[in-house]
Amino acid sequence: MSFVVFLGIHSLPGNTFVNERVRGASLALLLHEYGLDRPVLVQYWDFISHAVQGNFGVSIVNRGEPITPIVLRELSVSAELGGAALLLTIGMGVTFGVIAALRQNTWVDYSLTTFAIIGYSVPSFVIASLGVLIFGVWLFDVTGGAFYYPLTWDGTYGTVVELTVPAVALGLFTSSLVARITRASMLDVIHQDYVRTARAKGVKNRVVVVRHALRNALIPVTSVLGPLIISIITGSVVIENIFGIPGLGKEFINSILSHDYNVTVAVFTMYALLVGVANLAVDLAYTVIDPRIRY
Amino acid sequence: MAVVAAPRSDQEFASSTLVREQASLWRDGLRRLRRNRLALISAVYLILLALVAIVALFWTPYPTSAIGVAQIYSGPSGAHLLGADELGRDLLSRLMAGAQISLSVGLLSAAIVLGIGVVVGLTAGYFRGWVDGVISTVINIFYGIPALLVALLMVTVLGRSFTNVVIAISATVWMDVARLVRGQTLSLREREYVEAARASGARSGKILFGHILPNALGPIIVAVTFVIPSAILFEAFLSYLGVGIPPPTPTWGAIASEGVQALRLSPHILLFPSIALSLTLLAFNFLGDGLRDAFDPRQKR
Amino acid sequence: MTQPVLAVRDLSTHFFTDDGEVKAVRGVSFEVMPGETVGIVGESGCGKSVTAMSLLGLVQRPGKVVHGEIMFKGQDLLKLSNEELRHIRGRDIAMIFQDPLSSLNPVLRIGFQIDEAMRAHDKIPKEDISHRGIDLLKQVRVPDAAHRIKDFPHQFSGGMRQRAMIAMGLSNKPDLLIADEPTTALDVTVQAQILELLRDLNEQTGAAIILITHNLGIVAGLCKRVLVMYAGEIVEEGPVEQIFESPQHPYTWSLLRSVPRIDSNRQDRLLSIEGLPPDLIDLPVGCKFNPRCPFRIERCFSEPPVIEDVAHAQRAACWVTMTRAYDEMGAANITDTSPGAASGVHPQGRRPAADLAVAPAETLSD
Repeated sequence: MSFVVFLGIHSLPGNTFVNERVRGASLALLLHEYGLDRPVLVQYWDFISHAVQGNFGVSIVNRGEPITPIVLRELSVSAELGGAALLLTIGMGVTFGVIAALRQNTWVDYSLTTFAIIGYSVPSFVIASLGVLIFGVWLFDVTGGAFYYPLTWDGTYGTVVELTVPAVALGLFTSSLVARITRASMLDVIHQDYVRTARAKGVKNRVVVVRHALRNALIPVTSVLGPLIISIITGSVVIENIFGIPGLGKEFINSILSHDYNVTVAVFTMYALLVGVANLAVDLAYTVIDPRIRY
Repeated sequence: MAVVAAPRSDQEFASSTLVREQASLWRDGLRRLRRNRLALISAVYLILLALVAIVALFWTPYPTSAIGVAQIYSGPSGAHLLGADELGRDLLSRLMAGAQISLSVGLLSAAIVLGIGVVVGLTAGYFRGWVDGVISTVINIFYGIPALLVALLMVTVLGRSFTNVVIAISATVWMDVARLVRGQTLSLREREYVEAARASGARSGKILFGHILPNALGPIIVAVTFVIPSAILFEAFLSYLGVGIPPPTPTWGAIASEGVQALRLSPHILLFPSIALSLTLLAFNFLGDGLRDAFDPRQKR
Repeated sequence: MTQPVLAVRDLSTHFFTDDGEVKAVRGVSFEVMPGETVGIVGESGCGKSVTAMSLLGLVQRPGKVVHGEIMFKGQDLLKLSNEELRHIRGRDIAMIFQDPLSSLNPVLRIGFQIDEAMRAHDKIPKEDISHRGIDLLKQVRVPDAAHRIKDFPHQFSGGMRQRAMIAMGLSNKPDLLIADEPTTALDVTVQAQILELLRDLNEQTGAAIILITHNLGIVAGLCKRVLVMYAGEIVEEGPVEQIFESPQHPYTWSLLRSVPRIDSNRQDRLLSIEGLPPDLIDLPVGCKFNPRCPFRIERCFSEPPVIEDVAHAQRAACWVTMTRAYDEMGAANITDTSPGAASGVHPQGRRPAADLAVAPAETLSD
């Protein structure tokens, strides 16, 4: 996987220095300094043998700056945003899904379902752009500057306020998905025999819904957590670029646009690791929530 | 309750049930679809959009790249119905051309995905064994990677062009259809009429394309319908990030991205492409839902 | 004279579906004495399960109890609020279901599910709950109860799951246990064990049992009294032995004839009931069994029969009754059980008018 990416990136026409109008001997010197004049396979071996030790080499654009600490910091920033979006996704999605299922075929259900389809269809960058428009421009203008919503993060990490709009923009799509799945699986579960058994035992209705129905209805939701996390990671690339959040996604696009190969590969490797860890966590969550599954 | 069929030869029985099953499936499906108002409205919208896209091939109010210093950032007006952008280009013309890009990306990708999905899925489902093992593993690997990011890298590597965007999108979203066709094939190949066809010595190709594929068509069409909006979305994402189809080609994502730059002065440049894109995606999703309810009743709740 | 623990009067439960009103249970009345074992038999779809669900207010939308009275310990269950009814469910009236696998929550431990039944009510002291759970499992003969109580349902075998369900049902020492097809999903040998268990528990705890089943053999094994349901109505009731010996409703008679019996005389051929149960949305006029009854007479097409005494403690809803069918229609030697075969009566429009002119009495004599 990393090999394909590495090879692909390095076969790009042009290189970092094209933009910098470095020519002739000084170019050769630079290429040599960063080891870029060696055969691609040698470069790859060099990269991978360092990467497994957690060293992604140095940035070429920012001459010689080590990548690993940068990428790790960016990873934590992206994790903050992604984590917030994931919490929102599960919290909002499950709540709305359960409410819609319990109120099946009422106006509550219809409006939530419609809302979910819209949330599912409107791309996150549109929502994010609208967020910028509303919170950054209109509310500021309307209140004569009294309302100020910080759209770009001041520090490395966002405050709760700073985080809200990007996280909502990022999590709306996945929340809608979770709401749809939760609704469908609640409707399925609520008619199961064991829910009837719980009622026949005289268990309180609230307990029946939460302990017996929801607990089982979450199993299908857990099974889509993997794709959901991938979707959040993907979306974060766009969201970080819109809100100027200094995370992996912003770095990813920057490095591609500036041909900073080492950084691109490093960021992508981080993403791959993240997906791997997320999938592992999902598998673990699965065994916790469904005792029938054993690995 | 069991209905006992009159004794007939297996082959005869197989082919006649097949025909009957299909005929009623399509008829029932169309009837159910006609009752679904949202899906109908969506279909009408999409047909209109397609017409606009075709018209844009021959005619737009202004040439899409005609620059006009006088109307830079001008809002909607009589001359420019949806206003103009930062170079004074007519937004309506650019959106019309953008519709053409979005729809072609969506339809082309869907066609390619359908091709890959059918071939791969039929192969895996029909031959099973190690072939299926290999294909399923590949499918699972592709499910495990962030498709959009890979598409992004692919376009960067292959070069920014319409063709490469379509290739990159198709290469990263083909799994849904392939997995569905595989599943359908696996279950259909055990059906009586397929058994009967096999027993009567039909060749693999005849069984696959004569018996299995037609019966899996409903769910396949539904799955492909959902490929179109994701392809359109991917294309818009790439263009929005500035790594998709290169300018000056007007795509909705690129126009929206230009709009963000001019947010304070002229929000219409962001709003109109966003609305067009969202409506189109919404319409495809509604239509897909409608088709699924109509032609894939097993999925229904 | 002792009071019945449960007295159902004129219970009707309908389902309001898109296709019409499904009249699943219509005017059902019966009583259950303390400690009594009563069987409710009938084909699937005859309303026996819906009757049971109605008793506990477990009928889900679009179903609704539309009429009737369910007297339990002096109060009408149908007049109780949901919360009041909840205190009865599982505490005074417990219920166990057909498929013990799907009836147990797959993600919760067996012990937890048994304890939960006790914790939902305050009949059992809190501190007794955990060891009572183990005692109950022992009582229903689950081996190694102390360990198995921590298992999940999928780790139990079919029979053990049903034992766990029974333990759960008995946990609050109910006055009445409703068992809805408790053995249908189980192997034959396990069936016998479960029935034996139910019989013992009935004797030990004194809980009355309503056993719902389509299997007459199971009724014979456990119950003292039996109610036969057909198309949402009770068509016959009485002591089990008496009903088995001399069924009076042709439906009961057919049911008994369709069960293979080792001790039966050889000339009693195994007969099936022809046709299908009626559409509960569009019911036949008169007796609901008339489209399938070999002994029907003209009156069966015009007037619904009322349930009335046919022998001591035995009641049936039939204009003909089997006594008359034996005497006048030769039911003892019948081989053709198609509708109207014995009586020669067919609905209007199906047979020439001349046939209809023949008085039932004349037809009966052949």
